Amino acid sequence: MSNAIIRTESVSKHYATGDITTIALRDISLEIPKGSFTCIVGPSGHGKSTLMHLIGGLDRPTGGKVWLDGTEISSIDNSSLAKLRGVKVGFVFQFFNLLQGLTAQENIETAMMLAGVPEKKQASRSLELLAMVGLADKAGSKPSQLSGGQQQRIAIARALANEPEILLMDEPTGNLDSASEAEIMKILHVLHGQGKTIVIVTHNEDIARAAERIIHVKDGMLH
Amino acid sequence: MTLSKLVVRNITRRRGRFVFTLLGITIGIASFVTFQSMGGNLKKEIYRETASLGANLVVIPKGSCGFEQLSVLTGDQMPTNITMEEIKKVAAIKGLTVVPFLAQKTAIHNSPVSVNGILPEETRKLKAWTVADGAYFSTGNDRGAVVGMAAAKQFKLNPGSVVTIRGEQIQVQGVLNETGGRDDFTVFLPLPLAQRLFKAVDRVSYAAVKVDNLTLTDSYIEKINEAVGLGVVSDKQMLKSVLSIVGSVNITLQLIAAVSVLAAAFGIINTMMTATYERKREIGILQALGAKQSTIFTAFIMESGFYGLIGGVSGVMAGLITSIVAAPYISSNAFTTLVKGSGTNAAIDYKLVIGSVLFSVVVAVAAGLYPAWRAARLSPVEAISYE
Repeated sequence: MSNAIIRTESVSKHYATGDITTIALRDISLEIPKGSFTCIVGPSGHGKSTLMHLIGGLDRPTGGKVWLDGTEISSIDNSSLAKLRGVKVGFVFQFFNLLQGLTAQENIETAMMLAGVPEKKQASRSLELLAMVGLADKAGSKPSQLSGGQQQRIAIARALANEPEILLMDEPTGNLDSASEAEIMKILHVLHGQGKTIVIVTHNEDIARAAERIIHVKDGMLH
Repeated sequence: MTLSKLVVRNITRRRGRFVFTLLGITIGIASFVTFQSMGGNLKKEIYRETASLGANLVVIPKGSCGFEQLSVLTGDQMPTNITMEEIKKVAAIKGLTVVPFLAQKTAIHNSPVSVNGILPEETRKLKAWTVADGAYFSTGNDRGAVVGMAAAKQFKLNPGSVVTIRGEQIQVQGVLNETGGRDDFTVFLPLPLAQRLFKAVDRVSYAAVKVDNLTLTDSYIEKINEAVGLGVVSDKQMLKSVLSIVGSVNITLQLIAAVSVLAAAFGIINTMMTATYERKREIGILQALGAKQSTIFTAFIMESGFYGLIGGVSGVMAGLITSIVAAPYISSNAFTTLVKGSGTNAAIDYKLVIGSVLFSVVVAVAAGLYPAWRAARLSPVEAISYE
């Protein structure tokens, strides 16, 4: 597929603990088209999150290769990988992973700061993003003052801070009630409509049904 | 948002730990500054005391060591082994002005104080004393006392006040203007009176000798040796010998200070290591957001450097205040008399101030290197999954 923004070739991931080696992923070759809405589904502990970490450059494969927007990331140095991660990928996690000591706005600004965006631009862009996720009035709130749904919306805003082409989400609604889940899905549809590539790791069948493409992972392999 | 703002937020989030870590480095640097400041002033004070002695040679009992030479400068109690007969023999050598001193100690209101028996007119040839209040001795047979300014203030003495020395009531007849040296802390008595009170009739502790021709100093030493069996040291020899004693005291003080700073450095390492574990997940989040290893490393180094900067500034302030405020209260002995004197004249040494703050920052940054390296090397996945 010529328009693949994410591509893996015979990717495997092993974890060694003493003499025991656990195979988390084996021989995974896949392509995710640019602008697509993809869900990675499968039972718990079968390698879904590991796959997400590898295609997002958070981890390195034991074998095989990963391409992210044309760059082969499994062999580039840590610094280049971090830079690429900061601008090409936005991560959203199940437990929000906001920096607790910072306000909602500062959490978003931090992502931009790490990408070298000037402070003035950080402020205007973060307010824009907060408005987009419907939380303009929560700019000065700390994560502990926000509900789970609100925190996840801030996490999405933060993931979008550097205008990445890819959003990688690990169980983004796994910790939310159905009303909050619906809000998040609404935002995701808007983002997909804007051309973002969305990859979601989920158990949630409703979310999976909304995806254009579903990748099944079981026992560390594609099915 | 900037990295430095993020660092400040991280530090101030845990206020208790911030304060206690800061206290560690503050105490370390404060003791470093106190000892350095006192040690530095001690050296200056020795130079000043040697100069204010006004003598080119000092006649001391044969076999006297550096400690006795130091006592000449500090006004500490000394043996009374030199007879007036011997002093007269030295004084008979042409070209010398010989001024004997009886160096003793007594207590006023249970506080130790130096007492010097002097020949009033001869002593004034050596010392540039002026009288602040009352009168100087009129003859060598006066029955009164003349006191230094600091002693007068400490014991609330004025002309007309009475002090009891060795059970005898002595009236203060004059108070000297401040000299900035140990004379300020001394009670002066006419030599015959002091000799009687301290049961050293016809004996003195040492004699300060001024030579008419400095180029003949060596020949004067020989002549004194021929005339009497006493020890003779030049002011330069005495300075060298006393400075070597003080040098070893300074090294000891610096070692104590180094231990304090080292303890503070370990406090920083401990705080930063704890931060690495506590903030493991946050480090993972920052990595997921695109933070490079160098960024994480820099953030941790900035944090420990911040401890060093704030701790250094507060430590320097605390150290200077301690050295100035505490010095006059240090009980008097051969060494601390000079420290005591130096405290009253302590000036802020800007080299010491800037040097200590820089030292604090360098120590703190060095202490932060290992925790920063550990934090920077965390795997993003491991860090972000940390519960």
